[in-house]
Amino acid sequence: MQESLTNSFNDSNSGQLVREKQTELERRGINHCFHAPVTCATAINEGVVAGFGDGTIGIFRPGLFPEIKKAHKGAILCIAADDDFVLTGGDDGLLLKTSTDGYIEEIKNFNKKWIDCVAHKKDLIACSSGKNVYVWKSDQKEPEVLAHRSTIGGLSFDKTSKRLAVAHYGGVTVWELIKQKWKSSVFAWKGSHGAVSFSPNGKYLVTAMQENAVHGWRIRDKTNMAMAGYPSKVKSFAWVGETPFLVTSGADEAICWPFDGKCGPMERSPVCLGKYNNIMVTQVHCLPRENAVFAGYRDGSVLLAEINENNSGILIRGSTGAQVTALSVSSTGSHIFIGDDDGNILWSPLWA
Amino acid sequence: MSVNKQVPVTVLTGFLGAGKTTLLNRILTEHHGKKYAVVVNEFGEEGIDNDLVVDADEEVFEMNNGCICCTVRGDLIRILSGLMKRADKLDAIIVETTGLADPAPVAQTFFVDEDVAQRTKLDAIVTVADAVHLDGQLGEHHEAEEQIAFADVVLLNKTDLVEKSGLSKVEARIKKINPYTKIIQTSRCVTELDEIIGLNAFSLDRVLEVEPDFLDSDHDHEHDDDIKSLSFISETPLDLKLFQKWFGGLLQTHGQDILRSKGILNFSGEEERYVFQGVHMLMDASPMGAWPSNLNRTSRIVFIGRNLEKMDLEKGFEGCKRV
Repeated sequence: MQESLTNSFNDSNSGQLVREKQTELERRGINHCFHAPVTCATAINEGVVAGFGDGTIGIFRPGLFPEIKKAHKGAILCIAADDDFVLTGGDDGLLLKTSTDGYIEEIKNFNKKWIDCVAHKKDLIACSSGKNVYVWKSDQKEPEVLAHRSTIGGLSFDKTSKRLAVAHYGGVTVWELIKQKWKSSVFAWKGSHGAVSFSPNGKYLVTAMQENAVHGWRIRDKTNMAMAGYPSKVKSFAWVGETPFLVTSGADEAICWPFDGKCGPMERSPVCLGKYNNIMVTQVHCLPRENAVFAGYRDGSVLLAEINENNSGILIRGSTGAQVTALSVSSTGSHIFIGDDDGNILWSPLWA
Repeated sequence: MSVNKQVPVTVLTGFLGAGKTTLLNRILTEHHGKKYAVVVNEFGEEGIDNDLVVDADEEVFEMNNGCICCTVRGDLIRILSGLMKRADKLDAIIVETTGLADPAPVAQTFFVDEDVAQRTKLDAIVTVADAVHLDGQLGEHHEAEEQIAFADVVLLNKTDLVEKSGLSKVEARIKKINPYTKIIQTSRCVTELDEIIGLNAFSLDRVLEVEPDFLDSDHDHEHDDDIKSLSFISETPLDLKLFQKWFGGLLQTHGQDILRSKGILNFSGEEERYVFQGVHMLMDASPMGAWPSNLNRTSRIVFIGRNLEKMDLEKGFEGCKRV
């Protein structure tokens, strides 16, 4: 397997994007075009759920045909999952909960106000619409509303589900659940902030910015960490490996910032890998439990690379001509889902 | 790689009561066979069930790059990126701005954000003006003046309520601020929608059409902060490097006062026409095909803004000529 993957990588690396043969994973898996952009995807148990620009949800499970459900009237803008259900928000103003057996339940109708972000952890559900975050505890019917001064760009719970990070213009507001009440603390940094995430150990907070940069804070003392120098906007990032590395898109290689030690990436250089015909990386994802990263490119290609300097990686999926917009790997690490802007998907077992 | 067609975006400005809502209603309800998304500010109209009406918040963001001119509409970046995720392809997007809004951040959004620039393009800025009240508004609010200065098209509405002499006076006032704008006279905003939506390179063709001597307006009774326009032509081919140096420096130092700049340029050794348009410090330039055989290869450059006379524009432009 290793050899054939390397061969097809070499073919594509010879300067031309038209491939003569499929990659091993393309041969092995399901290739299909849905004719609507893949807007998001997330792991759910041993499977992956994807959202599409026409409002459909695709449930992909090992050994089964994909289950396609019409859920939203417009585009699905955000997705989050638990073990047995998935939450989606759309530009139709609906926050929906779809169970793995395909049952769809409406959590709230925001009357055409877009649901831009959704997050889930343990018994908490949060979504954002405009400047407000709505939080539900377990089976609460009506959500608690957390107001912010500008539109929300990203939402994320930490592992304990005690803290919720909300990214917006001017920084991040971290809400902490203390004695059943949400208390806020602001992490300020000029500019507009999008996707946000806590590091796996909960000590750092990072955002993808409107500018070509990633920003981070050490939560303990709110020390700023500006990770700049990208040629393009960072649309995707992932925590990878034991170190861990914060792996980001936004350049013609995957940029991996080390977050070990007391100061994380401060005054250190990132590891750069997966340079591929100078094509921009648009999506990244970890390979669970490994020090390796999947990088999806603007031309639809996807590479798997181990994190060490100058690793060029192996080709998982060849060019489709449309940028990779979603990448996800099942929690078990057995299957990969790749989706692009033209609606092409690949769902394939990673191991033969 | 597949090249995605850029969806044209029309920016609709105008003071409250000028007739923007009437126009939006027409765009949303008429059977034009087109798929238009409309981005509005608290659109109160009842009975319009259109999933392509999107509420905006008019959030003006400063980019964190130290450039004071780089204010953009953050909500617009979010909305346009979201609209591009839809499976149904749009013929055009119309963005309404509120009456007192500065049109610059909206226009700059199309230059600053790479996703927006890649998937959409600023087609035209259309300003709806009230023929009855424009004269007074121009005196009282500098926003009104800027909305005229930015406009590719002025929809001069409520013309049925104004005498003919009054109408030509208002038109002259508009032309004085912005000689390059196309004025469409209407009552109740009745005009063909393809006169205002999907105009393509319209604004640049206009640059070619307007005669330079039109600009020899008298400079009496003008205050320093009045918006003026200046244009220059050259029959001599320009030097690309000299032009880039001069123009880049000009926008950096005087970008705040230059509301709009446009041009069609003939560079020495280049077969193609170069066109550009700018908003404050930001500009967008590209080749636009070969020169038509029936046209002289005349370079023309236009500025609309404040304090233009202090920028040595003529000298600067002359200095770009290939000797």
